[in-house]
Amino acid sequence: MPYDDLRSFLDTLDKESQLLRITEQVLPEPDLAAAANAAGRIGEGAPALYFDNVKGFTDARIAMNVHGSWRNHALALGLPPDTSVREQVEELARRWDAFPVVPERREDAPWRENTQLGPDIDLFKVLPLFRLNDGDGGFYLDKAAVVSRDPRDPDHFGKQNVGTYRIEVIGRDRLAFQPVPMHDVAQHLHAAEESGEDLPIAITLGNDPVITIVAGMPMGYDQSEYEMAGALRGAPAPIATAPLTGFDVPWGSEVVIEGVVESRKRQIEGPFGEFTGHYSGGRRMPTIRVDRVSYRTDPIFESLYLGMPWTEVDYLVGPNTCVPLLKQLRAEFPEVQAVNAMYTHGLAVIVSTKKRYGGFAKAVGMRAMTTPHGLGYVTQVIVVDEDVDPFDLPQVMWAMSAKVNPQDDVIIVPNLSVMALAPAADTSGITSKMIIDATTPVAPDDRGHFDTPVRDLPETPEWTERLRALIAAR
Amino acid sequence: MICPRCAHDTVDTVTTSPVPGVWDVLQCVRCLYMWRTTEPDRRTRREAYPVEFRMTPADIETAPEVPVVPPLLVG
Ligand SMILES: [Zn+2]
Repeated sequence: MPYDDLRSFLDTLDKESQLLRITEQVLPEPDLAAAANAAGRIGEGAPALYFDNVKGFTDARIAMNVHGSWRNHALALGLPPDTSVREQVEELARRWDAFPVVPERREDAPWRENTQLGPDIDLFKVLPLFRLNDGDGGFYLDKAAVVSRDPRDPDHFGKQNVGTYRIEVIGRDRLAFQPVPMHDVAQHLHAAEESGEDLPIAITLGNDPVITIVAGMPMGYDQSEYEMAGALRGAPAPIATAPLTGFDVPWGSEVVIEGVVESRKRQIEGPFGEFTGHYSGGRRMPTIRVDRVSYRTDPIFESLYLGMPWTEVDYLVGPNTCVPLLKQLRAEFPEVQAVNAMYTHGLAVIVSTKKRYGGFAKAVGMRAMTTPHGLGYVTQVIVVDEDVDPFDLPQVMWAMSAKVNPQDDVIIVPNLSVMALAPAADTSGITSKMIIDATTPVAPDDRGHFDTPVRDLPETPEWTERLRALIAAR
Repeated sequence: MICPRCAHDTVDTVTTSPVPGVWDVLQCVRCLYMWRTTEPDRRTRREAYPVEFRMTPADIETAPEVPVVPPLLVG
């Protein structure tokens, strides 16, 4: 059954022993971030963390690492907790085909319980804010679903965007945020600033687990995240109308912050420890004036730690990056079997494909770089044969080591686009990109000595199942 | 009290702990750096603040604009 809010998902994690309640008193810093950092270091079954005894606060409730393991990611999708990574990605791809599922509008959103307006706004009174990494410029909202509309086409439901962007709290009613130019909200802001107008915005915190997954999913510009959430949930996504902006926001959010991105203004922001495992620098970024805050009684503040991978963000954006790339590649190249784009949000990608003819794998690699997400990511593509599982890194390394002739199979294209946070780019935003063709050459590309491969024995699949059953029955 | 990051001498109190007297959250009015008084010295004291994260007035003024403000459409 799908979850309509964060709380019901936390209850399930609790029942599945995937929620660790830390009851002894902790310091807001460095304990909260260090504990979530540690969760990423204890393996693929790590639990979510729940803190409600934080020094100096009277009623703080903080949830971290909610999506931070394959077990939790499976549970978020309503799958058995031991579902393999590859099966989770395949299930996401299967449910994707139900898109679009029209959302269900509800009027009784629990975040209508409390309101702060105008001069009474004080985010510190609503949220137990805290810092993550040593070099961060301050306290961040890093797991919100941010809603904005295209000022040129405000009534288009699909062009209304729901995305996750990092947001720094720079005052009681002021925020700074980072719209990477490849992302939809940056297009909305560009249009608003061209006209000299502020861009209205709604920031929703503590959302149901699938809204968080779609908010981090690189979908098409005019595709609705709510209609995708419905497809992934297997039931319409519950939405409600935000009181100030009139935007469509998740019904189940803990907190809804509304205001405007102030037109044509930039202010110093950052740095922030990023998903690349490196800090962004200090930049002059857009600012948000908060005009209204709506929140549930006793809101739960959800945050995620990110730093050197793997951390929660890698589990969160791994599968949801694989699926759109798989769908977009298959649209033109049905030979594509699977896509593993789980490394640093798809800066490196592994694609398995059948070959139509010699040279085909290299074309697949180039297409990966020119998908909407690829334009800002996908700096390295490894293309492997259809019988290599791109999620099985030892198999991928076998293909690399056995099938690649570097002179012919490594292609470097200079001066392509990449999002500004990519640390390896010499000029920020511009990078060379590489394809490694680790597939077996086929005619008329007649190279190497690949005519006598060793295949798995015909009886092996049956024995794989027998062994699994025997191990499970121990 | 000076800003640990840019050494500016004007610092605001943004909020205080709900349990009285446990901590304050402070902010530099120049570089906007924000910290809680109970954080480790490496985040709160100028002399312990890492060199690689320090900021000068020039760093603040010349920081790249992201995204760049587009030209105003005329008419
Ligand atoms: Zn300062």
